[in-house]
Amino acid sequence: MQTTVPVLEARHIEKVYGSRSNVTRALSDVSFTIGKGDFVGIMGASGSGKSTLLNCVSTIDAVTSGQVLIGGADVTCMKSSKLTRFRREQLGFIFQDSNLLDTLTARENIALPLTIGRVAAREVLLRVEEVAQRLGIAAVLDKYPYQMSGGQQQRVAAARALITDPAIIMADEPTGALDSKNARLLLESFETMNARYQATVLMVTHDSFAASYTHRVLFIRDGRIFTELRRGDTTRQQFFERIMEVVAMMGGEASDAL
Amino acid sequence: MLCKIAFGNVRRAGRDYLVYLLTLTLAVTVFYAFNTIAIQVDIAGVEAQSSGMGQLLGNIISGLTVFLALVMGFLMVYANNFIMKRRKKEFGLYQVLGMSRGQVALIMAIETLLVSAAALALGLLLGLVLSQLMVFFTASIFKTQIADFHFFVSMGALVTTVGCLVAIFLVTLVFNLRVVRRAKIVDLMSSGRKNETVKTRNPWVAAAIFVVGLVLIIVSYARLLSDGLPYDGQPEAMTAFLITTAMVVVGTILFFFGLSGFLLKVLQGMRSLYWRGLNMVTLRQLAAKVNTVSLSMAVIAMILFLAITSVTTGMSLADTMNNTVERGTPVDFTRCLVYWGPRSLAEMNNNAAYYGEDTRYAAADGPVDMMEASANDVFTATSEGEAAGIAAGQPFDLASIAGDYVQVDTFDSTPRGADRPLVSLVDLCDAVGRGLPAGTESSDASTLGLLVMTESNYNAYLRFRGMEPIELGKNGYTITSDMGATVNDIYNAVLGDDVELAIGGRTLKPVQDRVPEDASTFQNAMMGMNSGTIVLPDDLVEQLDLPPYYSYLMVNYAHGVSTDQGDAYVSAPRTYGNILNGAGESVAGWGTEATRTATYESTDTMNGLISYLAIYIGFVLVVACAAILTIQQLSGVADATANYRILSELGCDRTEIVHSVLVQQSIFFVFPLLMGIAHAICALSVIIELVALFGGMTIGGTVGLVTLIFLIAYGGYFCVTYFMGKGIVYDATRTRAAA
Repeated sequence: MQTTVPVLEARHIEKVYGSRSNVTRALSDVSFTIGKGDFVGIMGASGSGKSTLLNCVSTIDAVTSGQVLIGGADVTCMKSSKLTRFRREQLGFIFQDSNLLDTLTARENIALPLTIGRVAAREVLLRVEEVAQRLGIAAVLDKYPYQMSGGQQQRVAAARALITDPAIIMADEPTGALDSKNARLLLESFETMNARYQATVLMVTHDSFAASYTHRVLFIRDGRIFTELRRGDTTRQQFFERIMEVVAMMGGEASDAL
Repeated sequence: MLCKIAFGNVRRAGRDYLVYLLTLTLAVTVFYAFNTIAIQVDIAGVEAQSSGMGQLLGNIISGLTVFLALVMGFLMVYANNFIMKRRKKEFGLYQVLGMSRGQVALIMAIETLLVSAAALALGLLLGLVLSQLMVFFTASIFKTQIADFHFFVSMGALVTTVGCLVAIFLVTLVFNLRVVRRAKIVDLMSSGRKNETVKTRNPWVAAAIFVVGLVLIIVSYARLLSDGLPYDGQPEAMTAFLITTAMVVVGTILFFFGLSGFLLKVLQGMRSLYWRGLNMVTLRQLAAKVNTVSLSMAVIAMILFLAITSVTTGMSLADTMNNTVERGTPVDFTRCLVYWGPRSLAEMNNNAAYYGEDTRYAAADGPVDMMEASANDVFTATSEGEAAGIAAGQPFDLASIAGDYVQVDTFDSTPRGADRPLVSLVDLCDAVGRGLPAGTESSDASTLGLLVMTESNYNAYLRFRGMEPIELGKNGYTITSDMGATVNDIYNAVLGDDVELAIGGRTLKPVQDRVPEDASTFQNAMMGMNSGTIVLPDDLVEQLDLPPYYSYLMVNYAHGVSTDQGDAYVSAPRTYGNILNGAGESVAGWGTEATRTATYESTDTMNGLISYLAIYIGFVLVVACAAILTIQQLSGVADATANYRILSELGCDRTEIVHSVLVQQSIFFVFPLLMGIAHAICALSVIIELVALFGGMTIGGTVGLVTLIFLIAYGGYFCVTYFMGKGIVYDATRTRAAA
């Protein structure tokens, strides 16, 4: 397989909170790369720094030192206006709470990244229909978020993340607020997005079951990468068991990660 | 400890409290400044001109202040609710941490006290400055010279203002305590989540509501324009007017209820516009808020309408009086004699007998010589009289100061023994095929008779005024009137069309083709008082046997008598003498008298009074409206911060978000204003018609200045809203803290 430019490359990133007298080191010397079409999970206990990591690589938060390159471009030294545009065109976001605008219908929510990017109305509507078909939410397009189930809301959010055809989709605990059935449905849509449409996905989770859908899992502890697991050719069930072993190994203080 | 928390809270929640502080400060400033009116009037030298003015204005203003303080009180409760709503979680937290409700309530009370005290201090300081400046304004609207300018502090105004503020504070406090007292901790803690549910209405229904509202408003406009105002209190007219009012109120409410839905539907139809940038977000945001805001938008539109209408009407009336006062004061002094009407004599005599008076009343045979009758008046003992060198008990010797003078005698056009006037406004309207002027529609022929005067008397009047006499011949007539255009237009049509009148067996033709408006005023007055007097040949008047109605004595002071001397003499208090016939029966009573100087002054005073009240009420109402809008908009922005953060994370530019907020705010500020203006234009066009009866009305002059002041106040609040909204959006879209 030929090596292309990685979609995302984190080089020695550090994140420090607080003032001189009271320093919290949330991330220290974290490096990894994600290639095109990868489906990567980040696991860790509460407070391990996994969400900080996601925020830093997704340009929502600024790193203290180190570099984040997305598609070869260094986002750590971009100006805010350029960053805004970059975020809009290159990144897709899915959060634990679906983060849909409560005043807009599903169709409008999904269309938002395109209308902000000034895509022509006709194309906007076509692409919304298309992505909704793919994720099986065509029936709820004209409903408001409060009229949908949590799973539907998350799939709408996924559709919104997917519609700009981003270089990478960042998902922060996407199954956190879902029951197991809806969680499975959402994860299956991620698989579809990844397998059929070569979407690159980076998903933060503390749920081993969710992580078992990925190809590769990074384990974070105390702001550092503790270890990394690759699924290879094993089944999801086997991968799940290997993840569980690592979680158990990570010790008592991480037991809440189950 | 609690104080410390409260102080910290006020500093932290500074932005929420800013609107509260601003509005309260403005209220205090305006309350204080306007309540110093009594002192201002004194310094501005108005008191010297019309004594009692300061007292009168002071009383009216302090009464008004109580009413306006009430309005402000409710506004403050509203503003405070907004702050409370946003801080429910915090109060819940205090209780979870073990504070008693009393302690939480105390924190609230201290916070409110701090802000109120700050507003009071700031407001009084500004009020002090404003009140000094207002002296010049007062002097200019009352047209006086500032006698002796000095810095002043009004204890009375201070007490009123502080009293009002304390009342407002107490009311707010009671409401706050109720919120804290009633709230369950669980509700307080989860209130953040509760606010997030958004009800959305079907835009089709909303659009339909909008159209219904608009139709109602248009129909009510049409009704008002065709029916006019029910000034005569006829039951049917009142009912019709009430229906019109109800229609416009309901229409306005529906209009704002459906407005956003309508906009949504229209713009959704325009795809390339709707699916572009944040347009759909802006519209959906508007639609979501409309549930909570539409009613207050409607109320604000109505209040703005009232403010605009009353201020414009008041100021215009004042302007009108200014314009007509010159024509209305042809001589130095006039007095008027009212003859007892033959039809009311019986009742008057009965009354006199009942109350044991020994006066008997009778109809006059003919006009009384007023100059001679004036000598029956006797000066009373007063300081004013002494100052003018007039001893008490002395008779009123008008002839001693009079130079030129003339007496104008008018007769009732209903002959003795008859029950219908020979000529009435109704007949004349019929003759030229016009409707009765606004305000007189329900009158009938018997109540709208014109007065009659003789040709020779009118010519004497004309010569006295230095004008050319007229020649009626045997069969001529003309009509005099100094009322406004509405009535004069009818007379002009009658004269212009050569309408022939059959009176006393003769067929009369007009000798002039227009009403001589400048030669129709018989007494000094702020507005036209002669609503129509027909001039007929002397022999015809004699033949008709008409009872005398009014006599006017118009006097210019003699050469050696200065205006001041003359005014002092005629203004000195005296008791009126009786007007008796040969049998010792009373035939007439003295009516109004006025000097030119006093008429001018009372016009200025009236102007000042109206302007003052109009500006005061208008300003406070506008500030109240604008403050409500500001608070609503800011709470809307604050509620939507989650949405704005999402937008920012989706890669939406911050300026675009701020722009979307600006559009929403503009709609909320501009639409009620436009609606208020539209209502006002419609109402004013009817009011002008009515006011025109009294000598025409022009909108302009001072109204421009006042409009400017109001726009600055309204616009100022809009700017505050914009900048604070921008601040909230910036805070919300700042780089997300670690989750």
